[in-house]
Amino acid sequence: MRLSFAFAAAGMLALSAVAAAHHSFAVFFDETRDVRIEGVVTSFRFTNPHATIALDVRGADGAVQHWRVETNAPVVLQRRGWRRDSLRAGDVVRIDGWPSRDGRLYMRMRSATGADGRAIGSAPFQTNDN
Amino acid sequence: MTTRFLIALVAHVSALLLSAPATAQDHPDLSGFWGPDFVTDTAIRLPQLLAQVPPDAVLIEDSGAAEFPRGEFGGLVLTPEAAEHAANWDAAQDMTIQRVCLPPSIVYAVQGPFPFEVFQTPELIVFQYEYFDQTRLIFMDGRAVPENQPYSKMGFSTGHWDGPELVVETSNIAASTITNNGLDHTDDVRMIERYRLSEDGTRLHATQWFSDPAVIVTDGARYISWTARPGEHVFPYECDPSFALEYAQIGAE
Repeated sequence: MRLSFAFAAAGMLALSAVAAAHHSFAVFFDETRDVRIEGVVTSFRFTNPHATIALDVRGADGAVQHWRVETNAPVVLQRRGWRRDSLRAGDVVRIDGWPSRDGRLYMRMRSATGADGRAIGSAPFQTNDN
Repeated sequence: MTTRFLIALVAHVSALLLSAPATAQDHPDLSGFWGPDFVTDTAIRLPQLLAQVPPDAVLIEDSGAAEFPRGEFGGLVLTPEAAEHAANWDAAQDMTIQRVCLPPSIVYAVQGPFPFEVFQTPELIVFQYEYFDQTRLIFMDGRAVPENQPYSKMGFSTGHWDGPELVVETSNIAASTITNNGLDHTDDVRMIERYRLSEDGTRLHATQWFSDPAVIVTDGARYISWTARPGEHVFPYECDPSFALEYAQIGAE
């Protein structure tokens, strides 16, 4: 099992690409940067205002980091093919998104990919259909 | 309330009083499920609606998913008190278990990236918002704001038809956020919206215009649009405050 994480600078992403809920996306997340993590799911919580994914990610130094991923609201996720059992503890998943502005191990999800290489859900979250 | 806002209110009421009685079938039917557009192309905007936004109101461009970062308010001019409040705003407080499920007021929520449904009768129009399960009653029977009407996040709304446009005036809105980044309105905020269907009826356009001199020197406005999605209905939101516990766990393990 390969666990890894990486940050990557990205071009300015359109603010309209991100569906925010009660708290401000722009205040909490950096829309100008990308982050990709891959790890083992430890929990998946599927309630509004945001679903959350907790996962263990092995860093470049070999140490396991405990990440938390915020997603869109489940009311939005459900219209993109997500279900409450789309992820289970023990699943390996790769997640792309935007990093937290405060540098903590926290990010906002754009898309998720399972161990089989298939996207979870019907579309990533920059396609603007709510 | 600013003078221009008062003048506009009087104009709206006058138009209502002077207009001939109309039957329900004379008015557009806004009923149905409306999904947020996320359209950034301003060419779709209806000039008829834009023309009725007061020229000195600042049209802020944060409708839909877009939001302003800390310290940016889209051109709104804040009072010194509001500017100080925004500068001292602690975003993390919105992620506490006490606050994470508090719905924003209609001033912010009307443009959020969630769908809503319209149920329309001649006397009453109901907006059912998916966002925080909020329900909004718009009284079309000419009633005034009742004495001792409670303040709430949805406020108290009355409406009338101005030709093809539904005009909604809202007061009694409990203090809440305007831009979700530290700029908050007071209980005295007043809001007027105008809703108009596209020619083919597949898109609902609206302008929102708000005034709260205690916090913004200039009145504010937004342009919002939604697309019809027949057959869909809003989902239950049922906000779960345990999300705040997840947030609190970041970096704690």
